[in-house]
Amino acid sequence: MEFRKLKELPVQVVIKQKLDDRPIVRNNRLGCSRRLVAELQDALDTCAERQRQLEQSLRVSRRLLRAWEPAETPTPEPTPGPETNEEAPSPACTPSPQDLKELELLTQALQKAVHVRKGISKAGKRDNASSLKSGSIATSATTAAAPHWASQTKLPRGTRQATRPAKGLPKPRLLSAGDQTCAGRGPLAAKPGPGLRDPQKAPSAAPQAPEAFTLKEKGTLLQLPMAFRKAASQNSCLWAQLSSTQTSDSMDATTSSKTQFLQKMQVTSGWPSSRLSAAEVEAEVGRLQKACSLLRLRMEEELTRDPKDWMQEYRGLLTLEGLQAIVGQCLHRLRELQAEESGKEVPGCHPRRPHSTVLTEVVEQQLGPWPEERPPMASLPCGGGADPTWSPQLLLYSSKQELQTLAALRLRVDMLDQQIHLEKVLMAELLPLVSMQEPLGAPQLALCRAVHSLLCEGGQRFLTILRDEPAD
Amino acid sequence: MACNQFTGCCSLSPQKFPRAPPRASRPSRPPRPCTRAFPDTCGRCTDGAARVPPGWAPAQPAAWAAGAQSRGDFRVRGHRLRLRDGLSGEHAAAHPLSQAPALWRLLFRVLSLLRADRASASRAPEAQARWVKAALRAQGYPRLGLARLPEDGSQGSRELLLALAWLLAREPLPERLLAQTRVRLGDEMPVCECGALASPGQPAPRVDTAGPVDVRRLQWLMGKLRFRWRNLMASQQEQCALLGKIHAYTRGCHGDRSLGHLSVAETELLRDPEGGRQLLQRLESENARLEAALEWRRRELVFWQWMDTVLGACPPEASQPTFPPRLRGRGRRAGAWGPVAWELQALQEELQAAVGARRAAWAARVGGQGPEWSAARQAAQEAVGRELAALRQAWARGGGRAQPHRPHRLVRTEAGGPGGPGLRAAEVIGVLRSREACLEEMLCQLQEQCRQQLARLAGALPGLIWIPPPRR
Repeated sequence: MEFRKLKELPVQVVIKQKLDDRPIVRNNRLGCSRRLVAELQDALDTCAERQRQLEQSLRVSRRLLRAWEPAETPTPEPTPGPETNEEAPSPACTPSPQDLKELELLTQALQKAVHVRKGISKAGKRDNASSLKSGSIATSATTAAAPHWASQTKLPRGTRQATRPAKGLPKPRLLSAGDQTCAGRGPLAAKPGPGLRDPQKAPSAAPQAPEAFTLKEKGTLLQLPMAFRKAASQNSCLWAQLSSTQTSDSMDATTSSKTQFLQKMQVTSGWPSSRLSAAEVEAEVGRLQKACSLLRLRMEEELTRDPKDWMQEYRGLLTLEGLQAIVGQCLHRLRELQAEESGKEVPGCHPRRPHSTVLTEVVEQQLGPWPEERPPMASLPCGGGADPTWSPQLLLYSSKQELQTLAALRLRVDMLDQQIHLEKVLMAELLPLVSMQEPLGAPQLALCRAVHSLLCEGGQRFLTILRDEPAD
Repeated sequence: MACNQFTGCCSLSPQKFPRAPPRASRPSRPPRPCTRAFPDTCGRCTDGAARVPPGWAPAQPAAWAAGAQSRGDFRVRGHRLRLRDGLSGEHAAAHPLSQAPALWRLLFRVLSLLRADRASASRAPEAQARWVKAALRAQGYPRLGLARLPEDGSQGSRELLLALAWLLAREPLPERLLAQTRVRLGDEMPVCECGALASPGQPAPRVDTAGPVDVRRLQWLMGKLRFRWRNLMASQQEQCALLGKIHAYTRGCHGDRSLGHLSVAETELLRDPEGGRQLLQRLESENARLEAALEWRRRELVFWQWMDTVLGACPPEASQPTFPPRLRGRGRRAGAWGPVAWELQALQEELQAAVGARRAAWAARVGGQGPEWSAARQAAQEAVGRELAALRQAWARGGGRAQPHRPHRLVRTEAGGPGGPGLRAAEVIGVLRSREACLEEMLCQLQEQCRQQLARLAGALPGLIWIPPPRR
């Protein structure tokens, strides 16, 4: 066979011809793909929505990992007394017993320092000088310094009262020294500037800029406020109670009275009970879909299995036949539902048109416009947590890589789900179109090429078509 | 007077419905106090049919009221229904102060929450009433009386009350609504296998183009979708990395030892005190609602006994012989059934072919077997039967709940530690991997099917050579 270069090689996708007047396909135009576009657009929208949510959480997370604004540094737990202020330099933490011991030593040292400092410090103290002095005191207890400052709220009353007078003066200096020694960087002049109500300290505390707080360095010092912790624990307690009432014995009487009520309502009401509601039909169709995929999986499994002996072969045969029977039943059920939906056959009932026309119309009118809805039934059980039992459900991971793998796999599974759904839609829409085309003609081939790439390669790769003309 | 006794009962049921989560798009609404009677039901009490048992203690309206206060920018959508004391005597069907409008609104709210519908709350009352009727009908509500009610809210509170009771009886409504709007404190990752991104039903019909669609547009949309997926993957990886850091940096800060570190929400609350206050408010209001729900659960039995009498007092409805065709349901569902029917049929054909081949092979083998293996055959049949029955359970109503179905809170732990209760990431990864493999296989299969079909079509076109793209 000879391959010849042709005048109109349909290898390139670009077709610059005018509209043909073929009935269904007009050079690359597909007649009934509104549904396709709608589905694709829908998929794009879901992706966009998910991206938007991700970006929002990214923003929050990035902001948390940067240095926190001074005005927003976390407040230590509001203690009774003058310490409630918004510019507290650093947050509280939970001290360990070892820290507490160090704390006591430090307290004593600080008390001494207070006496020393009283005579020296007044308004306009330079930070470097003060930090040098306080540095000598604080060097040994740098890690304890911050916890000391922060853990005032956790200490028992006695210790707290002891530390309170000591906090007045050297506290900010101590902290700045501690910070500098810890961090080793950052603005030297930066100093936490608490709005202390201590009359001694007030004049000198004014002009300092607070040091930035970063999660990396001081994240372990954070502590949740007491009110929040109380509310959260009460919340989980209540949820636990609520879920336990679901399963308690006293529920039996209630459940039976509920079922009685429902039955009575069904009996006394006008609508025939045999007819399924829209929600039930939808649920049933969903189940049939799930059944289809499970059956297919089973079939694949069976077909790929290699029977070693006649017993296994027999079992395989029986399984396949059983599957066939089930599929038949499913199809039958589906057809039943379809028939019922379109109202064709109503077994055992005689429509009495003349009498009840008016009522029918009235009822029809009352039903009104069907609410336009996405199928919410599928999403709700997941999103809402249909099973409201509250036991803390934790997902434990141990490293960043593990978490990333987990998230990536989840995303991949969702993506594959979506791809499969789109593939089925494409197959349903495109294959019939392509198969009923008159052959040849450049536009047809371009269309075939495009359809092939969409269906078989996910739109990523294209095949090549060469026209084989006899040499003449 | 029995009406007074109704006070506790009537005010109990609607108030436990949760408030909408604060959303910027919804306008803030103050709580609506309605102080009207149930005219129809109270009319019943004159003949003693609907007396509340004397053991009934009225619920604490204070708890409800406290929970229903709107605070700050918190949106409240609950209702409080309080009966006016001393209302007695016969009530005409059109009582001037009917409860019906409040009940219509309540039903609208509950149903739109249940359906996760973005039905705007600003619909006119008549439109709301119509929507409620349609929604209830879609759920299978059996009473015709509701469909016949006028939509202006002038009468019908008994029917509406019955509808409310019907919704309450079918499922644990308060728990479900509460779970939907729950305050989430941790970093949640969904674990269930429901496709979050696949849209199984008919998407909302969106008409972009009036006419036929160019296949190049489809290709472009597919490409855009792929691009969005890549973006999503990258963002997701970054988010995981940041999450891992935040969890690592806040080690040891959480009061709850099983958690060990703070989540993003908790850290954010520390960073931003204003946001923290709002979170606290939401938590507290949720606690109030939970308490109310617990209260409801404790006293529920009385409500059902009462409703029984209410239902008993209604005249039985004339049964409706004609079946009005479902409006709009047809158009909507026809698309959704297509794929399922098509898939089932394809499966059936494949099974037929497979079974046929195997049957023939088996028949060829079976010739030499004697009767001694009939017992074995029986055993095989039973075993296969049991297997298939178990398979059917997988998609049966209510099946498949064993798997974790709720979003889990991410907790970072040390690798190799025994850990507490909770799901391990490694397990989930394993499950996801197998699911991924399964889905990839399904996709490949579908693409192979397309390829074969297109190849058949290509074979029909003479004089062309189709060169498929190189396989990866």
